[in-house]
Amino acid sequence: MFLYFSASPRIRVNIFWFRLARLRFKIMEKILNKKHIDDWIAALDGWDIQAPVLEDDIWSYQPVGGAVRLDHPNTKQSPKGLAFPQREIFFKFEQIKGEAPRLTEVVPDERRHAVFGVRPCDGRGVPRMDLVFNDHVEDNYYLARRKNVAYVGLACNKPPSANCFCLSVGGSPVSTEGLDVQMTDLGDRYFVKAITEAGKGLMTAAGKLFAEPSAADQKQVKQVHAEAVAQPQRAVRNVEEVPAKLKASFKSPLWQELAQPCIGCGICTFLCPTCHCFDINDEVQSKAPLKGIRVRTWDNCQFPDFTMHSSGHNPRENTGARLRQRVGHKFQYFPENFGMPQCTGCGRCISECPVGIDIINVVNKVVENAG
Amino acid sequence: MIKIQDIRDTARDLLTKGEVRAVIGYRRGSRGMLAEPTFITSPEQADELVWDPTCFHNLSLYLVHDRKFLAHIRKNPEAPVAIVAKGCDARSIVVLMQEHYFKREDVYIIGVSCEGTGVLDERKLAPHLKGVQASNAAFDGNDFVFTTSEKLLAGHPAEGEKRLPAREVMADRCLECRIPYPREHNVVFGEDKTGRQLAEPFAALTRFEAQGAGTRWDFWSHHFDRCIRCFACRSVCPMCYCDECVVDSITFPVTTETTAEDKANRIRWIERSAVRSENITYLMTRAMHLAGRCTDCGECERACSVNIPLRLLNNKMEREAREQFGFEPGASIGGPSLVASFLDSDPGDFIR
Amino acid sequence: MPDNIYLPELARIAYIKDEVYGERAIKTFRVEPVEGELFKHECGQCAMLSIFGRGESMISIASSPLIREYKQFSIMRVGRVSSAFHDLAVGDVIGLRGPYGNSFPIDDWRGKNLYFIGGGCGLAPIWPVITTAVAQRASFKNITVFYGGRTSRDIMYRAELEKLRDSVDVHLSIDKAEEGWDGYCGFVPAAVMDKDPVPDNAIAITCGPPIMIKFVIQNLNKLGFKDEQIYTTIENKMKCGLGKCGRCNVGKDYVCVKGPVYSWAELKHLPEEY
Repeated sequence: MFLYFSASPRIRVNIFWFRLARLRFKIMEKILNKKHIDDWIAALDGWDIQAPVLEDDIWSYQPVGGAVRLDHPNTKQSPKGLAFPQREIFFKFEQIKGEAPRLTEVVPDERRHAVFGVRPCDGRGVPRMDLVFNDHVEDNYYLARRKNVAYVGLACNKPPSANCFCLSVGGSPVSTEGLDVQMTDLGDRYFVKAITEAGKGLMTAAGKLFAEPSAADQKQVKQVHAEAVAQPQRAVRNVEEVPAKLKASFKSPLWQELAQPCIGCGICTFLCPTCHCFDINDEVQSKAPLKGIRVRTWDNCQFPDFTMHSSGHNPRENTGARLRQRVGHKFQYFPENFGMPQCTGCGRCISECPVGIDIINVVNKVVENAG
Repeated sequence: MIKIQDIRDTARDLLTKGEVRAVIGYRRGSRGMLAEPTFITSPEQADELVWDPTCFHNLSLYLVHDRKFLAHIRKNPEAPVAIVAKGCDARSIVVLMQEHYFKREDVYIIGVSCEGTGVLDERKLAPHLKGVQASNAAFDGNDFVFTTSEKLLAGHPAEGEKRLPAREVMADRCLECRIPYPREHNVVFGEDKTGRQLAEPFAALTRFEAQGAGTRWDFWSHHFDRCIRCFACRSVCPMCYCDECVVDSITFPVTTETTAEDKANRIRWIERSAVRSENITYLMTRAMHLAGRCTDCGECERACSVNIPLRLLNNKMEREAREQFGFEPGASIGGPSLVASFLDSDPGDFIR
Repeated sequence: MPDNIYLPELARIAYIKDEVYGERAIKTFRVEPVEGELFKHECGQCAMLSIFGRGESMISIASSPLIREYKQFSIMRVGRVSSAFHDLAVGDVIGLRGPYGNSFPIDDWRGKNLYFIGGGCGLAPIWPVITTAVAQRASFKNITVFYGGRTSRDIMYRAELEKLRDSVDVHLSIDKAEEGWDGYCGFVPAAVMDKDPVPDNAIAITCGPPIMIKFVIQNLNKLGFKDEQIYTTIENKMKCGLGKCGRCNVGKDYVCVKGPVYSWAELKHLPEEY
């Protein structure tokens, strides 16, 4: 509830219409026997399907035609790459000196993508990315891709990682926020619930594969969900109080102390479901006539030169300032702008940091120190 | 067996006497059993130091960070820095000294021997624990002992102990290591188990090369396509200390004195795009630049967010260095680095 | 895609002038549309200029919004893209997208005394306000310009400043005494104190090197100017100009959206990260 009342007026309006739309939306809940999951995929004609695949010892979303297993913990990389790829070409340019260049937009293709096995934390990342790419002006490339992606989620019966903390940042292992469909594992079958019209479409396409849930099924789902939420997790303490405490801690020497092991790589940001920093560069393919492409690539506020001015001045010239930026963005600046934490508690940055920098630890320590 | 108290006492002593200005070591982190780097500057902090199979980080990286920081604030070190160093780490320190990154007297090496058991590879451990979290890892002779406890997630205590032979879960690089002992040290703890090697040096590389060229190209193309250029491999490597990385078009040490010409004329050897051609150039160039310098600490491969088997690239260059020049990086503190010297006896059969 | 925010309009270089020579060279460019009309802008806004194959750079629009035929940019040669600009010739075509950022609330300042305090190339971002105010001279009370360069050769818009003297008090300064210079010698903040500007019914607008801005604001406070009466424009490294790439934020504000224009009353509440 705090989410609604603390949000800015613009966000409140959006949440209101979203809830109204949900009320009008006729519930669609079905049962799918696990042995039919590949048949469901096969019935999705015209959709490119991605699902978690174990390859090179890591789980990643890959295009699949079948043999879908949804027994993954969480994927190494979040599904943000579907709407916000690591690299995309904005346009091509061709120019003869002295003349006007010819610019050719590279429009994202129109194929629809459905990604299966999306954990609730990653699902919640989707509307947070949507907020950024819609705010102030609409990002044409993001929106062109985003409208063609459907997220089929999988509830977490138990935490996939020892570093999960979705509950303490406003999420839950059974959250449906950002998802088009939610699946819950009931042992030999899935309870499949449509969350949006797009989700309904995905389910309707496989029609006969789905059965009506019995009363026992409904009871089991409730029980599984209740048990899921009762599973213990790590926690950021009192997330609503964090923005003010972080604001008061801007000059704290704790930042540099906590950031001292940081090696300045891109793992925390590249793997994060809500990090969206990017770079724009021109890549020249031939010089005369000039031919090339303007490209967007993921960038990272932890790289030392991220904010380096051409003059040599760098407003964030040490790892402490950069750690403060990342943590501040997730837990202070984004909440100040949009009324909710940007972090969804997936725990990847904690598990994957090569030197153990732990965002839960950082936030709790800085807040504790702020008094 | 190493007694952790000895390491702590040494650190405390050095700091109390002011002989060093800091001790870089390992302490328990906030992620279950895993150790993390720590930088202690006062004697009271010495009790947080730990030594266990999760101390896999190469702390010599932080000697490089320290040196860069001093250069940035234009100060000379007032006292040496002490560092807890395994055999592999001590060899990295020697390479840095051979390259004159700092002087021998700037570093006080608190050597720790892994006593032949190496350190843990988390990926190898995972199937043994089957999703259960370990809260502690310890050395015990030829075994690692893991305490499995769900105490971390309060409310579900499930104590247990899992004992595993070290050779089943130790890092591949440790299996191939011939000198698991920090030869260069100011003080050392633990026995020297040189010669106990469990696998031939470059064993993984030899196995890999037994495959045909087509298979190997497919293998590498697959991995080069997967690289996301997070630069973790470079960032974690103590030898990648160049302020201006030749294959990174973005990182460029700009100061107020850098002229517009310098910035305008800087060549972009590779583009930012994480595509095969650029990734090949990045990864291969990094491997080439580490030839004769890489001590196989394995951190690049451990840090890689997409599990690219980077050791194979570096090991290839190191095997060349050994076979062509009889050179082993960091093996002895005397003598110049490989690429900064030549001997009359160097092979010349490629000259026709 | 309609209204592609990343696709630049095309503009032709119609005019290039060497403002300042030497190591910190500044050139002034005027660009005209290749087709149709260029976007409208307000005082203080910026635009992303593209040299295809090199990249983009966020530059303040230095011409008044009242001028429809061209847009003016003064670019100092500091790095990769700006050096490429200095190699351009009249007739070359560049890319242009904008306008980005907020603007000076010039309408709120009608009937007031305006003090413009600029240093180095910091004159360019506030030049549109100066020229718009002069074009609508009767709407404003006294207009004073304090502007200083390191040396007399670092002073930009020299001829234009001299022309302003009819309707504006212009006080030029250089850091150290030079032969032939009979104006003020000393740093800009001191040049301001020297003339003792009065805060009553006044607005001060300042732009220049960060250290100059800091001391100018201190001095203005000493003279009795309230924080709401002092305006400045800040800069940060930018790439998208649209509040999305995450690079230019100071606290929760993206400088390319919520800035670059700030009153000191607002700016002092933001973290010191610019």
